[in-house]
Amino acid sequence: MRHENIEINAALMIVLILVVISIGGLVEIVPLFYINKTIEKVEGVRPYTALELRGRDIYIREGCYLCHSQMIRPFRDEWLRYGHYSLAAESRYDHPFQWGSKRTGPDLARVGGKYSSAWHVQHLNAPRSVVPESIMPNYSWLLQNDLYYKDVGDRMRALRVTGVPYSATQAEYEANVKTFGKDIADKLDIGAAEQNLLEQAKTGNYDGNPNKLTEMDALVAYLQVLGTMVDFNKYNAGYFAEFR
Amino acid sequence: MAQSVTLPSEQQYNYEVIRKFTIMAVVWGVIGMCVGLYIALELAFPHLNLDLPWLTFGRLRPVHTTLVIFGFGGSVLFATSYYVVQRTCQARLAFPLLAEFTFWGWTAGVGLGALSYMAGITQGREYAEFEWPLDIAITLVWVSYLSIYVATLLRRNQPHIYVANWFYLAFILTVAILHIFNNLAVPVSLTKSYSLFSGVQDAMTQWWYGHNAVGFFLTAAFLGMMYYFVPKQAGRPIYSYRLSIIHFWALIFLYMWAGGHHLHWTALPDWVSTLSATFSILLLLPSWGGMINGIMTLSGAWDKLRSDPIMLFLITSLSFYGMSTFEGPLMSLKSVNALSHYTDWTIGHVHSGALGWVALVSFGSIYHLFPRLFNTRLYSQTLIYVHFWLATIGIVLYITAMWVAGIGQGLMLRGFDQYGNLAYTFTETVEFLHTPYVWRAIGGAFFVVGVFVMVYNLVMTLVAARREEAALQAKLAAKLARA
Amino acid sequence: MYYDWLMWFTRMENSKPLALVLFFSAFCAIVLYVYTGRRRGERLESYKYIPFQDEADTPDSHFRKVTDDERENN
Repeated sequence: MRHENIEINAALMIVLILVVISIGGLVEIVPLFYINKTIEKVEGVRPYTALELRGRDIYIREGCYLCHSQMIRPFRDEWLRYGHYSLAAESRYDHPFQWGSKRTGPDLARVGGKYSSAWHVQHLNAPRSVVPESIMPNYSWLLQNDLYYKDVGDRMRALRVTGVPYSATQAEYEANVKTFGKDIADKLDIGAAEQNLLEQAKTGNYDGNPNKLTEMDALVAYLQVLGTMVDFNKYNAGYFAEFR
Repeated sequence: MAQSVTLPSEQQYNYEVIRKFTIMAVVWGVIGMCVGLYIALELAFPHLNLDLPWLTFGRLRPVHTTLVIFGFGGSVLFATSYYVVQRTCQARLAFPLLAEFTFWGWTAGVGLGALSYMAGITQGREYAEFEWPLDIAITLVWVSYLSIYVATLLRRNQPHIYVANWFYLAFILTVAILHIFNNLAVPVSLTKSYSLFSGVQDAMTQWWYGHNAVGFFLTAAFLGMMYYFVPKQAGRPIYSYRLSIIHFWALIFLYMWAGGHHLHWTALPDWVSTLSATFSILLLLPSWGGMINGIMTLSGAWDKLRSDPIMLFLITSLSFYGMSTFEGPLMSLKSVNALSHYTDWTIGHVHSGALGWVALVSFGSIYHLFPRLFNTRLYSQTLIYVHFWLATIGIVLYITAMWVAGIGQGLMLRGFDQYGNLAYTFTETVEFLHTPYVWRAIGGAFFVVGVFVMVYNLVMTLVAARREEAALQAKLAAKLARA
Repeated sequence: MYYDWLMWFTRMENSKPLALVLFFSAFCAIVLYVYTGRRRGERLESYKYIPFQDEADTPDSHFRKVTDDERENN
């Protein structure tokens, strides 16, 4: 084939451009869906509960990912600062992923359980009241806004379409009992989503005000579960390196 | 009558939609860069967030990136591609009504997108924050764009397709594919959707998109611009046409592999990030090939840099292109990336490309286009020099501040004391960042002031053009009356 | 099986050098094509004047003379 034909034939040029630009993406992305070792085999990772999911939606709405990563790298300083490096398995139910690209603030991949919920409420409401040097905006409206949760079932149904194991049928529920145990399977039941959400907010009392269900409840519930699902004591130090 | 004023090119080519896109490019540039300056100040002085949800950094940052990339950059590309394809094919733009639609559709899409982010409606994917209804609207505009472009190519009065059009065509095709695959999502409501992929696959898809948005939107397409406007402004043909052919195929092939370098040391498998780093380094060759091709066009006529401020814009933009395409492969090395990733070094790198390359080559092209589109002369040559120096000083301040911030923070974060404990807390690095953040904002302010100088110059050009035409009309009318 | 030979391609240590050879030879072929042949070279280089053929009789047209001089220099 003569290059001259490409130069004077627009259709041929379009086809060739498409071929040339497709190779890189195909080689690098498609295998990620098929190579089993891409996601580590590990116990404990589960989809978010209804309340945590709403918290995650608020995390995305406020653009937290633009200043906070959720991806700890395997370096000594990050291990000391944040904990065990992040696993692919830990974000397997994250639609979209929130690994981030910039740390204007610290990494949040394992922030769950590090601070009390009361600290989080105070910090989100007025960051400089607990960390004077902080440059984070005040998120004062989180405590004032009532949490809208009527569509949480719809949200879970949409995620179910993408492959997150929220259960809509008895068979799916039973499969979840087998994978995650009964306690968690109950929380993944779409039919009971609203009821579960209210109950978790009440028992957790994340925003410190049991009489009001606010966006703060949801966001703090989400932050408190980040990075807590895998029990790293169960695995040898070298186990996860096999998957890299 | 007034026909004598109209050039033949006015009848031969469709300039109407190009004028609109050029003006909107300037408008989006002004708004987008002002938002950028504001969020830079927010990082230096957090009280500027004013406790208003829609004014916080997290919501305004996508407004800034969308307005400058898609608003400013996108409008410049629409304008110049419609101009270049007509002039190098010596054919009138196909489907004029559809071309109007691309203008209104694109402008509305960008504007609504910015407003939706302030309202907290976002997909949470960098540079692809548009929610799904806007994604679909953009897809429609883009398919129209492609069909107009290809139909115009097919009408050409020239057997050969000029190389600038290859770059534009590759850009339109690739962005279509990137946009569609990266935005696959399951909607919940009109304002909320969840991406189809999750975790590691989602990350790789997003950065395949993100990196090639840079590679094709902000590089390949602007190289197409370079291949037309540099020779045209210099009045000399491009240095080597054969080099441009190799440049083209190598660039579009290699770019698509490099996205994984945004995910070094993450849970992405090592084989992908190694492959991406390899291709990122190879990418240096076509990038510099293109830069040399552009700059050497002036070979033997370097004095034009002294006499023509527009040429100064174009050639300086190529120098910044060369600099940031050297910095990019450097940062894609895993060992360098371990330090630079997550820090402001990345922000500085992006801006040396976005301000130094994309914005400067756009300004140069706009200055070239404006008098031709409105059939007049630019109001002031001196103001172009003023703009050039404000912009250049601004860029240098900006990227220097970001080098200090990024490398400084990276070194602090990995510092240990003699007992093996962390030498600094995260908070101490935030304190350290304050000074470079102030300098970054000053650099940004220089750049924005430069843009306002351009706006003044362009507005005065239009005013003068209007006045000249009115005077001419009056003269003709007087002549007619006497007759 | 008849398709056993296909398995050869699925092994990384085979497919990597194969891909390298393919891509590199494609690159070499393009370079050779573009830079060999005097007449082909002249034909390709002649296309760089296209941007200057857009208007029949405007101030731009005098640039074409300049570029014609250029051609002799090359």
